[in-house]
Amino acid sequence: MTDRKSPTAVLREGPRALSDEQVREIEESDLKSVLDVDIDDVIEYVHKDLKSLPDFTTLYRKYLKQRWDVYELDFTQDKIDWTEKMSAEERESFIAVSSGFHHGERQVEIELPVFMIGATEEEKLHIAAQIEDEARHTVFFDRFYREVVGLSGDDIMGVLDASFPWVSETFVGPFGLLAYQADEVRRNPYDERARVRYGTNYFLWIEGVLALSVMKVTLSYARWRGFLPAYYTGFTATCRDESRHVQGGMRYLQDAVRKDPTMINEIHDTLRTILSLAGVASRRIYFEPLGWTEEEVTVLFFQQLRRKLNDVGIGLAPDIEEMLQFVQPQLAGG
Amino acid sequence: MTEPRFFSREWAGAVREALVAGPSEPVRAGKLQEYWDFFEMIKGMYPASWALGCPDLPAELGGRPAYLVVRWGGGTVTDCQIVGPDDPLEATYVLGMAYADWRALHDGYDAQRTVMYRKILLEDGSLLEFFKTIYFFVECLAVIGAVPASYPELARAT
Repeated sequence: MTDRKSPTAVLREGPRALSDEQVREIEESDLKSVLDVDIDDVIEYVHKDLKSLPDFTTLYRKYLKQRWDVYELDFTQDKIDWTEKMSAEERESFIAVSSGFHHGERQVEIELPVFMIGATEEEKLHIAAQIEDEARHTVFFDRFYREVVGLSGDDIMGVLDASFPWVSETFVGPFGLLAYQADEVRRNPYDERARVRYGTNYFLWIEGVLALSVMKVTLSYARWRGFLPAYYTGFTATCRDESRHVQGGMRYLQDAVRKDPTMINEIHDTLRTILSLAGVASRRIYFEPLGWTEEEVTVLFFQQLRRKLNDVGIGLAPDIEEMLQFVQPQLAGG
Repeated sequence: MTEPRFFSREWAGAVREALVAGPSEPVRAGKLQEYWDFFEMIKGMYPASWALGCPDLPAELGGRPAYLVVRWGGGTVTDCQIVGPDDPLEATYVLGMAYADWRALHDGYDAQRTVMYRKILLEDGSLLEFFKTIYFFVECLAVIGAVPASYPELARAT
């Protein structure tokens, strides 16, 4: 971790092109080398292919090259950083953000299998890979909470129970909706409209906007301060995985709208529901110990949303544009 | 005073009173005022009704599926009653939850996770419309769960 620019520097940089060398570094780094990859480059990389989305077989082949072993991470230094170097305020802010991911990764893991039923054969390969990714991310957070934060539990659910007090009440908005949408798809797995509504919440909102925005907050903090190297490595590798998920999800939505332009109505209706909830917060999170202000997180959030919509070519109805003005960042992702 | 039995007429009456009163002060104190402002705004204009079902009530409670039907209007509960399997069921949203999960909710299991982990499921009604007011629903579900009631043991298969 040589370059230690401030966590919020990316807000002023705006979109930028990655060099071939940077792309190669992101795509080909093994787990150990991921520690040297800049999280801002990985988030930029997510958008690299959005204008000409790769097909599902290409994404599956990338998965085979990029998958990593969550049990290779060594959290020894992270434990020292957490207990001896980070302040109580830093720990409290960090856990307020990361707990949304702890639960979010579990949610996106268990709600995805039903979506595979109605998918094309090529897409099934990609979804199967994504389910494995999400399971690995769930284990990553389980290990982080046990070995670094020091929470205990008899099993994965026991640790989830222990971190739940940090999860905001508004988490149920996108993730409860996803659970119910998964049930809707389970009952009618070939209902393309239900699948598009599900895909809008899962791939565009939860993964494309919530996750990528908030991942950046803890990862840029860790890089800036030179703390939590295993967390930085594992979660940056997670972010690289998310790039495939977002690209696959955007590919699905783009294809669905191209096949049937009226599908845009399903995307808009889903966004109307999500955005009608997104202006409400139940807890105040203090980002300052992590190098951010709430306003800066909101700006980052909008950047992520606008870029996805613009790159994939999803236009918004005027009433949705109006709703966007009242959105607040939901501190969760998957 | 004897606690009303779960899914009895008396319990439905107590649920109505609890919903009209809303979440307790200790519950409110743990969340931002803007969250409760949103809750009150929804409550003030909520026009819908819920049928909250239990498909596997123990024999002591009738042994047949039943629903707690809650109707909202004018910022209050206009009707709250138990509807049996032979009665006509009319509600904007029909949901169902197993008896064991109703009992867990009463014993303190989190209402948010009750939704998120699909312990209570939407069986009929517009999903996207239902979720526009999900925070209101979840807080009300927690209120319903906290209403004192006796929950008999389920008969175990031998």
